[in-house]
Amino acid sequence: MKRHIPGLSAAAKTDLPVLLPPPAPRHHAGVLNFSHWLASIPPWAPFVLVLVAMLLPSLALAQDGATTKDSPFTVLLRWIPFLVTKGFVYTVLISVLTMLLGTILGVILGIGQVNPNRAIRSVSYWITQIFRNSPWLVLLFIVMLSFPFRIEVFGLTIPVPDWSKAVIGLALPVMANISEIVRGAIGSVPSAQWEASESLAFTRRQTLYQIILPQCIKRMIPPWMNWYAILTMATPIVSILGVEEILNLTRQAIEAENNRPELLIPFYGFVLLIFFAYCYPIARLTVRLERRFAVKL
Amino acid sequence: MKKLLAATTALATGLTGITASAQECTNDAWNRIMSSGTLTVGVKADYKPWGYRNTDGDLIGMEIDMAKDVADTMGVDLELVAVQSSNRMQFLEQGKIDLMIATMSDRADRREIVGIVGPNYYTSGTNMLAPKALNFTEWEELRGRPVCGKQGAFYNQVVEERYGAEVVAFIGNAEAKQALRDKKCVGFVYDDSSIMADLASGDWEDYGMPMPTEDDNPWGLAVPKAEENCVFGRFMSGMQYNWHKDGTLVELEKKWGIQSTAYTASQHERFKDWLSD
Repeated sequence: MKRHIPGLSAAAKTDLPVLLPPPAPRHHAGVLNFSHWLASIPPWAPFVLVLVAMLLPSLALAQDGATTKDSPFTVLLRWIPFLVTKGFVYTVLISVLTMLLGTILGVILGIGQVNPNRAIRSVSYWITQIFRNSPWLVLLFIVMLSFPFRIEVFGLTIPVPDWSKAVIGLALPVMANISEIVRGAIGSVPSAQWEASESLAFTRRQTLYQIILPQCIKRMIPPWMNWYAILTMATPIVSILGVEEILNLTRQAIEAENNRPELLIPFYGFVLLIFFAYCYPIARLTVRLERRFAVKL
Repeated sequence: MKKLLAATTALATGLTGITASAQECTNDAWNRIMSSGTLTVGVKADYKPWGYRNTDGDLIGMEIDMAKDVADTMGVDLELVAVQSSNRMQFLEQGKIDLMIATMSDRADRREIVGIVGPNYYTSGTNMLAPKALNFTEWEELRGRPVCGKQGAFYNQVVEERYGAEVVAFIGNAEAKQALRDKKCVGFVYDDSSIMADLASGDWEDYGMPMPTEDDNPWGLAVPKAEENCVFGRFMSGMQYNWHKDGTLVELEKKWGIQSTAYTASQHERFKDWLSD
């Protein structure tokens, strides 16, 4: 009986246990990540989309032979300075301040979630869970309706503008999500580092602030920026509560132009583009930083 | 037992004391406006030509002119706050605005919340912008059919309850009109004066205003409820009376290109100074 040698005189197979190559990942980690999705859009795509959409109504208008009225595009050009300076600036202001407030509170809450004290830990945990799992609009409604519109301190009247209430309302869910990012980042640092620093006579506080957190910062930057992009995209919901930001002012501009329905696509298309132009670079940067800071184990 | 009775009596007297003082005029809002030197008026920013924005972002319109006249008469600065149909009464209740002139129909349920003082400065009825091809003549024909409307308008409910139409309410007029053009609804229920302005613009040639105008409803400006029968409320009644008397409202209608209504003309006639000729 002739013996075959696998791989030489026979097919390369064996019944001995072998180490198989690792299975290909079923899905990419970034699939569920907003920034990855946004950064994967080719930058020209929204512009082409809006341009095509804008052609349709203007073609319809040309057939009407209406020459007495300005074309939708001329009307839009007239309103762009107003929409950007009075509307989009507020959107950016709201998103930046919200992120600032949300980050400060979120970091405190996140560190609270890993506190050795059980009471602090569970309070931080529940605050995080409650605000992370509540609809943003509901939180906004509660804040907008329960906060005063002006505060009187020692006869001094401080007005509380609507947009500042929107900042507080939006900061609550952002805070909870940043808290989870901080908790996750602290947890992602190998626990051996805690033990090593303890053996070097670092206190818990020193370990956290001098060893663990500095390593967390670069891990937190990509998800933090991801949340900033999500937040910016979500700010138009404050228009439901009458805060004067770009979406509300766009609606008022359409009204001032006699509600001509052919204005809807150019105006809302412009809003889409300005948001894209602002968030797209952030998303690309996020993806780049993510690659650069990718944790190698 | 005696003690309990005494306590109850004391409590009851205390309570009546509170109610009695609530009806007295404290004129809080009026005094605050006068001491701060600023009158904050809630106006529409989405209701051309009563209240809307120019390209610089300033609020302009017929009601803004009226607000200016109020501030000038009081001798204070004017601050305008853009309100929406859905939040205008809350803003006044909270004290965010001192006065509301925001195309609001004067309804009994609204009078319970805010202080609407007469004489009403304007009136409008409900009608519908609909394609001529549908040949509507009666509101009854709307039963079970989709009708577009604007959020916050009281007649949405009227059309739904009285005629069984299915109202689809949009956030803006442009959205509602686009839906009408896309044939998502058989008509757009709105103020008759506004519909007339649309029809006059020439963009709606195949459309008409086929229904008999319904619910001709006066518009009311409003002061905070506590001020209704006090200085501020009385003062606003006087302002409106004078606007009718000297024909300011008729002139403003002309200025803002609003089709002159029989109401302002008749009120001008009614309140005319009997000594003038």
